[in-house]
Amino acid sequence: MNLSSAVVLVGVAADGWLLAFMAIRGRRPWLQSTFAACALSFLVVGAWFVGRNEGLLPPVPDNLVLGLMLLTHALAAILVLGLIHGEALPRRRAVTFLLLAPIPVLAYLAPLEGWTVATAYEGNVLGGFLVACLGIALGETIYARRASPMFATHAFWLSVGVIALIVAGPIYTYELEFIGRTPLAGANLAAPLALACFARVALQTDPFPISPRPAKGRTTAGGIREADAIVFDERRPKYALRTAEEEAASGRPTLIVSREPVKITTSDVTSASFAHDRNAALRTLTTVSEFLASAPGGFVVLEDPADLSALSGWRAVLEIAVRLRHVARDSGSTVVVCPSRLTAAELTALKALNLPWWPMADAATEIIAILAQSFGTGASRLFDSFCHAHGIRREDATTDHVHALQDFLTRALTELSAVVGGPAAHGLQVQYEAAASVLRSFASQGAVEIARGKWPSRRSSETDIELVVTAADYWKGKEMEELFAAADAVSEREPLFEKARLVFVEQLGDAGEGVLRTQLARLGKRPEELERTDLVRIADRATVDLGSLAEIVDVPQEKERIQQQIESIRQKLELIAEGEE
Amino acid sequence: MDGRLRALAIRSLFLFLLSLVLVAGFWYHREFYQIGFTNLLIIGGFVTFLVIWAARLAMTGELPRGRPSGELSFTLEEGDRLLKRVARSVVRPSEDLAAPSAGHVVRAKYETGTEFARLLIEDARRAFLSDLTDEDARQAGFRSASDLREAGTSRWRWHPADVVTILRVRALGGSR
Repeated sequence: MNLSSAVVLVGVAADGWLLAFMAIRGRRPWLQSTFAACALSFLVVGAWFVGRNEGLLPPVPDNLVLGLMLLTHALAAILVLGLIHGEALPRRRAVTFLLLAPIPVLAYLAPLEGWTVATAYEGNVLGGFLVACLGIALGETIYARRASPMFATHAFWLSVGVIALIVAGPIYTYELEFIGRTPLAGANLAAPLALACFARVALQTDPFPISPRPAKGRTTAGGIREADAIVFDERRPKYALRTAEEEAASGRPTLIVSREPVKITTSDVTSASFAHDRNAALRTLTTVSEFLASAPGGFVVLEDPADLSALSGWRAVLEIAVRLRHVARDSGSTVVVCPSRLTAAELTALKALNLPWWPMADAATEIIAILAQSFGTGASRLFDSFCHAHGIRREDATTDHVHALQDFLTRALTELSAVVGGPAAHGLQVQYEAAASVLRSFASQGAVEIARGKWPSRRSSETDIELVVTAADYWKGKEMEELFAAADAVSEREPLFEKARLVFVEQLGDAGEGVLRTQLARLGKRPEELERTDLVRIADRATVDLGSLAEIVDVPQEKERIQQQIESIRQKLELIAEGEE
Repeated sequence: MDGRLRALAIRSLFLFLLSLVLVAGFWYHREFYQIGFTNLLIIGGFVTFLVIWAARLAMTGELPRGRPSGELSFTLEEGDRLLKRVARSVVRPSEDLAAPSAGHVVRAKYETGTEFARLLIEDARRAFLSDLTDEDARQAGFRSASDLREAGTSRWRWHPADVVTILRVRALGGSR
C-alpha cells in the first residue's frame, strides 16, 4: 500500500469515528444529519480512492465519483452555514440546501464537457463551483468572526476546518499537478481535521438538555400572544415565572432557561439549566431556538441573563436578545427576558435595543400599600410580622403568599376580638375585608394587567393620606396598635403545621402538602399536635424518602433539581425548628 | 514537579513536535520547493513566521487560553488565601467590574499594583448581596456571610440591595 492510500485510509477511519461520535453525542437531529451526510460523502470518496489505488474495488463510473466530490464540497458549505446560523428556523435552514441544486446539472454536463475527477479543480464551471462552495464557507466564517462576539471563537475553528479543506483540496491538487504527480482524485487529506473542527463547534453549541419535552407543533394557546422578546422589568423574576406557569397551564409549550434547575414543579413547564462555562450564552440561544422550532408559538423565559453576562460577556447576551427577537417573530412566539441583577450600564444597553419593556410591580411593596390603605403606617410592621411567621424575607414575597397573608390577618383579628369587642371589632373586620378584597384583586392580576402600571402603591400615593387619617381617627390609634401586637403574637404562635406546609408546597407544589401529611401519619400525629422536635424528624425522613426518589431519576438535571429541593426543605424546616426554641 | 517547570516542559515539547512537523513538511514537499529560491523564501518564510509566532505565544503562557484580560486587586490577606487555595472564589461588586468572562485569564494584583498571579475564571455568577450564603462566604475565604458583607461594606460601602459577582477562580502559576 502506498503512502497516499495509507494516509487516506487513516482519514477514512477518522471520518467514520467522527460520524459515529456526532450521531451519539449530538442533540440537533437536522445538524447531525447534515454532518452525517458530509462525513459520509468524504468517507465514500476516500474509500473509493483507496480501493481504486490498491485495486480492491471494481472500476466505478467517473461521473459517480465526481458527483460524490461535488457533494462533499456542497455539504461542507451547508454544514458550515448550518453551524453558524443554527438558530434559524427550519424553513431558513432549507435555503442553504439550495447549494445542492447545481450538482445534478454539473454531473449531467460532466461527460459532455469532458470534466473528470482528476481535473476537477481546473478553471471551468465545475472547478468554479467547487471553489465557490469552499469560498462561501470561508467567507461566512470570517464574517461571523468579525460580526458576532458570541460566535467568534467558534468561527475561528470553522475557518481552520475550511482552510484545511482548501489547502488539502484545490491547493494540494495544483501542487501535485505542478510537480507532475497524479492528484488524489477526490480524496481530501484534511477531511478528518475539518470534520473534527466542525464536530467541535457542533458539540460546543449544542442545546442544553430540556425536560419534559414539549409537544411538537404550532400552538395558539396562552394569554400573552405578542410575537416578540419582552423585558419584564422586575427586581426578581417573580411575574416572569408566574406567567410561565400560567401559560403552561393554558396548554402553551413553555420553557424556562435558568442557571439553576427551576423550582417550578408544574409538570407542563419545560426547563433547561445552562452549563457554567463561556459557551452558556450561545448554547442558550440554540436551546431556545430548537425549542421554538419544534413548538412554534411557544413561551420562553430567560431567567438569568445577568449570569449569562458573567459567564459569556454582556455583548453575547445582547446578541442573544437581538437574535431571539427575530426567532420569536418568525415563529410567533414570546420570549421574556428578565433583567434582574444587570448592572446600570447593561440595563441602558438593553433599553437601547427598544424591546417591549413591561414594568412589573414588586409584590411586597404593593401588599404593604394595600395594607396601608386599611391599617395606616403600621402596614409595614404588619407585613413584617407575617414574613417572620412564615420564615420568608420581604423581598421573597410574591402574590402566591396573599392567601396565607389573609389567613394570617384573620387569625390576628380573632386574637384581637378577645380583647376588643363591639363596634371596634366590627370596624376592624370591615377594614380587613376591604384590604382582603383589594389583595385578592391584586393577586389575580396577571403580567399584562400589571404592565399597565395601575398598581396599588401608585394609586394609594394619591389617596392614602386621607385614608390613614380616617383609620387613625376611627380607631384613635389604640386598637391599631393592639392589632399589630396581636399580629406579632400570631407570628409567634403560627401553627407549626402551617409553616411546614408552606415549605413543602413552595418546593414541591400542591403535592408537597401530601408529602408532609404522609410524614405526619408516619409519626402518628395530627397537624395540631406537631412539635418542633417533630420538624427535625420530618426533615430527616423527607430527606431520605425524597433522596430515594432522586436516586431512581435518570435525568441528571432532574436529579440535581430534586436534591436541591430536598436540601432547601431540610434547611427551612431546621430554621423553623430553631426559631421555635 | 513544580507547576511552572511542568508547564515549561509541555510547551517545549509542543514546540519540538511542531518543529518536527515543519521539517517533515519541507521534506515531503521537497520537489515542490525545487521550483526556485523565491518560492522557498516566501512559503518557507511564512511557515517559519507562524512557528515563531506560535512559539512566542506558547512560551509566554498565552496558549491555549489567550492573553490575560482585565485585573482584580486584592489585599495581601485575600491574595494569600487564593495562592494557598484556602479561598476558591472572589466576590466583587458587579458595577464597574473589569473581569473577563468564564474561561479567560485575569491578572491578580495586590492593591500596591504588584501582579502576584494569573487567575483562570472557572465560573461566574451574580447575586444580590442579601442572597449570599455562608457557603459562598466560605468559598471566598470568610467564616460566614455576615463576615463577608462586613468586609465588603468597609471596602466598597455596599448595601444589601447591591449586586455582586462571584467568580470561581484557579491560580495558574506564580508571579510573572
